[in-house]
Amino acid sequence: MSENKPKIVCFSCKFGWGYLTDEATLSKQIENWIPIICTGKIDTTDIMNAFDQGADGVLILGCPEGDCHYQDGNYEAKKRVHLLSRLLESMGVEKGRIRIELGTDPEGKTIPQIIKEMSKDLTKLGSSRTGAIAAKRPAREMIKAKGGK
Amino acid sequence: MAKPKVAICWLGGCGGCDEAVVDINEVLLSVAGAVDLVLWPVALDFKYHSIEAMKDGEIALSIINGHIRNSEQEEVAELLRKKSQIVLAFGACACFGGTPGLANLTTKEDIFDWVYKNAPTVINPKGNVPKTHSRINGKDLTLPEFYGQVQALKDVIDVDYYLPGCPPPPHLIIAAISAVIENKLPPKGSTLAPHRSLCDSCTRNKTKPERMAITEIKRIHEVEANPDTCFLAQGILCLGPATRDGCGEACMNINIPCRGCFGPVEGVVDSGAKYISALASILDVQTDADMNRLTDQIKDLAGYLYRFSLPTSILKKKRVKELA
Repeated sequence: MSENKPKIVCFSCKFGWGYLTDEATLSKQIENWIPIICTGKIDTTDIMNAFDQGADGVLILGCPEGDCHYQDGNYEAKKRVHLLSRLLESMGVEKGRIRIELGTDPEGKTIPQIIKEMSKDLTKLGSSRTGAIAAKRPAREMIKAKGGK
Repeated sequence: MAKPKVAICWLGGCGGCDEAVVDINEVLLSVAGAVDLVLWPVALDFKYHSIEAMKDGEIALSIINGHIRNSEQEEVAELLRKKSQIVLAFGACACFGGTPGLANLTTKEDIFDWVYKNAPTVINPKGNVPKTHSRINGKDLTLPEFYGQVQALKDVIDVDYYLPGCPPPPHLIIAAISAVIENKLPPKGSTLAPHRSLCDSCTRNKTKPERMAITEIKRIHEVEANPDTCFLAQGILCLGPATRDGCGEACMNINIPCRGCFGPVEGVVDSGAKYISALASILDVQTDADMNRLTDQIKDLAGYLYRFSLPTSILKKKRVKELA
């Protein structure tokens, strides 16, 4: 993977996305792909952790509105993402770094395409990794480095 | 047998935690009789060099409150760690960075610019700013270095136990000190407070409707809150669901919602992120416009969610684009 290519973590619901294609085949085409059962299961901590571990963006693919296998998991995920992106914005993480799409693609062919589109937008934003790498460094080293004169 | 030595020290604290120690009232007298206080800057005149002269591990317990933002605080923390068998992080600042941790939403440069240059009350024609080292009339003067961000105690030294709260309530302080004196401490790294969330013990919990659905978010000063009903059911943000229990509901009892000074519940690192999940699930909105209207009603979301815990949250501080 080239240095400049943004790292995107993609969560997708197994009920709406790629269930007709073999998971192993799809995961070869999609880096950092996490198929899950219902987007309502994604905890905000999972998204925060992705950013903390160096993701430039997080993409969530849920089922179409009103069409959740568990009644309203996608609706819950959407609200959660909305609130979280507000929080992340005030923490200096740009709005475009987190995206939720509600729809369906049983073969999952469009997933790489959606990621590509998001990649384009993220390239404009630049890396979010500066902060992430800094946060991974030992605390003492960091305060000394940032403290400076 | 010699009495165990105890040190109480403040780093970046307001003094409220020291006050809380005094608030254990007459119990303090029996504690003072059972232990040998070797340091308590806010109350007693002991010097740091007398601590430096001690053997490593000579102090049985160091109770440290306050966050760490400068090199002096860091040095004192390290000194006490070296000389103590047990270090107790005392209060929200020592445990999570506390309210001063909100300074991590801004930068050191912005703080210096405001305090020494731009604040309307500042008169500083020479543009003087504090320097760690200056030479005046042939004499060297030094000041502690102000670090780039606020840190909790555990980010700088190894901490054995945690007692959260702003400040910790007397019953938990007494329990913690007795546990040390009687050698009945839980495993290292434990928080000396209940594991569950505040909602579990809140008396308002039973007034909660079966399905919560908020259509408006109000701030506590904008409404007259019903003193017996769940705050969230009234559309007032209360951090109870994501905050550790044990405070004795001091705020609830005066009709103020929980603001999170006890930090995350057991096993959770980032209470703010957890709270987002809880809050999102009770927002009753249908359209994006509705969602925007509702979230706009929350003023300063980061400040609200991390009022006491920003330095120990997952992101720790606001990300600032470094200029290339």
